[in-house]
Amino acid sequence: MLRYVANRFLLWIPSVLLVLLGVYALAFFGAGDPIKLIFLRAPGDVAYDPARIEAIRHTAGLDRPFIVQFGSYLWNLVHGNFGNSLNSGRSVWSMISAAAPVSFQLAVLAILLTALTAVPLGLIAALNQNKRLDYTILGSALFLWAIPPYVAGPLLMVAIITLVPHVSVPYGWGGILDVRIVLPLLVLSLQPIALIVRQTRAAVIEVLSEDFVRTARAKGVPEIVVALKHILRPVLTPVVTQLGLIMITIVNGAIFVELVFGLPGLGRLTVTALTNSDYPVILAITLIGSFLVMISNLLVDVLYPLLDPRAAQSFRAR
Amino acid sequence: MTLSPAAIEVIPDEPPVNLWREAWRRLRRNRLAVAGLFVIAVLALAAVFGPMLTPYDFLSQDLDARNMGPTLAHWLGTDDLGRDVLSRVIYGARTAFIVAVVVTAIAVVLGVALGAVAGFIGGTLDRAIMWLTDVTMSVPNLLLVVVINASLKPPLAAWMDAQYQATLNPFFRNTVLVDFVLVFGSMALITWPPYARLVRAQVLSIRSRPYVTAARALGLPTITIMRRYVIPNALGPLIVSVSAGLGTAMVLESAFSFLGVGVNPPTPSWGNMIQDGLKVWQHYPHLLAAPALVLGLATVAFNFLGDGLNDALNPRGAK
Repeated sequence: MLRYVANRFLLWIPSVLLVLLGVYALAFFGAGDPIKLIFLRAPGDVAYDPARIEAIRHTAGLDRPFIVQFGSYLWNLVHGNFGNSLNSGRSVWSMISAAAPVSFQLAVLAILLTALTAVPLGLIAALNQNKRLDYTILGSALFLWAIPPYVAGPLLMVAIITLVPHVSVPYGWGGILDVRIVLPLLVLSLQPIALIVRQTRAAVIEVLSEDFVRTARAKGVPEIVVALKHILRPVLTPVVTQLGLIMITIVNGAIFVELVFGLPGLGRLTVTALTNSDYPVILAITLIGSFLVMISNLLVDVLYPLLDPRAAQSFRAR
Repeated sequence: MTLSPAAIEVIPDEPPVNLWREAWRRLRRNRLAVAGLFVIAVLALAAVFGPMLTPYDFLSQDLDARNMGPTLAHWLGTDDLGRDVLSRVIYGARTAFIVAVVVTAIAVVLGVALGAVAGFIGGTLDRAIMWLTDVTMSVPNLLLVVVINASLKPPLAAWMDAQYQATLNPFFRNTVLVDFVLVFGSMALITWPPYARLVRAQVLSIRSRPYVTAARALGLPTITIMRRYVIPNALGPLIVSVSAGLGTAMVLESAFSFLGVGVNPPTPSWGNMIQDGLKVWQHYPHLLAAPALVLGLATVAFNFLGDGLNDALNPRGAK
């Protein structure tokens, strides 16, 4: 098991190297000279003195060839040094460790909310297949899946403000116990919920025709026990495999949700970094994002044999 | 379940006409899909005939009538510069459709070519291409596009400017072109992997069919075999993905415009209209609601159509 995890991690390294190389090259050849970028933002008289720029460039090692600079960036990265922000001069690591808890709490809550609401809803829809309840649930899921968070967020805000009297604008961050978290959490979870409802429904419908379900029903097991004990477990397996996709949806969604609701998390950090061409920050966020997706895919592979012992056989063979 | 004769006849030797007619019949029975198709058709017509339909120019400002709610003169009201919102929404449909169609076309061509090569030739090339799809799909894709867009825009704009200075050709002063080229390119770059995987899987099953072996035995060059026999037969399942892909591309475009890296103002795009509306929605909710609702409607329509097509073209999965 440990060897498998280590293997996967080793396979992930070349992929992330390629991505980092791509973003680094974009920053190097595309965005232009970081020193100039800094100077353009500097106040008045310090701006643009060619001799001084050259001196700074030399001391910062930015006159070295591309591949050397990329190598030294990686070297620093391996030693836990993400570099400094071009914009504020703060270390990227401190910016990220300040913003990450907000996004992390939001993401964990969103995944929990998804699991707690979507699986039961999908189960209910499947047990009432082709009845009105099923159509309502499935229809809403199809509808919600199609609505991007930057549409759902503002529309919900408008609706709440105009419909509910005496409600203040849900803007800002006050921890997970604050009322203001409700709307961003809801908006962030809508698409994952829609996805999982559809997955669960399809999986349950497939399991319903299995022999063991018929046997359980035939021997008079109450319907609720059949649903919870016999159907739910084999259904969880295909649902859990969607974790990677959910993670991507949440990482993407967080950018908009944090922007719309003014949360000081990684998403907003991303947008600020992009508008300022703050490449050290962008590189670090790309790294973290693809690390998250990798981890969730890995988690799926590790959880899979635990949920479905039949898969453990082929797992050991690998 | 009764099998209709046409469903059984889906074997490679038959002309594909029956399959399509049958699929169309199934699609028409799906009410959600028909509704989706209808909405898409209306929006597409609005996109094509936009300039003839809009009551006002999307740029014309009426500074006496700013931020007005819906009236008879302006059905969806006016924005902070007194521009007619309905006209801007219609022109936004133009932007959305151009981006969706071009991006999907580039991504499909790229995906089909790479997927077919990977599946047909195999070996190291196959592994390399599939690794590339893995890498692209495991990075939060929104981030990647935004980075590409944000960093390539200044140099490309500078290059265009230099070309203009050198040649005085007015073509190079068209900044809208830069926006569109970047949006097309970067979006196509992240949307091709699913198409490539789909086509590769198809090609793998096709390349051992007798007619391919026959073509090989006749000594046809690999390129000709792929072009004439393999790729045309691998395209069927692509239709569903393309329908879903058009919707995704439309959403992505508005997402970029919303973040300020897509199509720049004053070219109207639903995304940048939503962003503008977000600043003033507490006072003028209609400025936010109009583009947001239209975008929501469009994406829902594409999803319904995609699901309908899926059921219609894969009758086995329907029940």
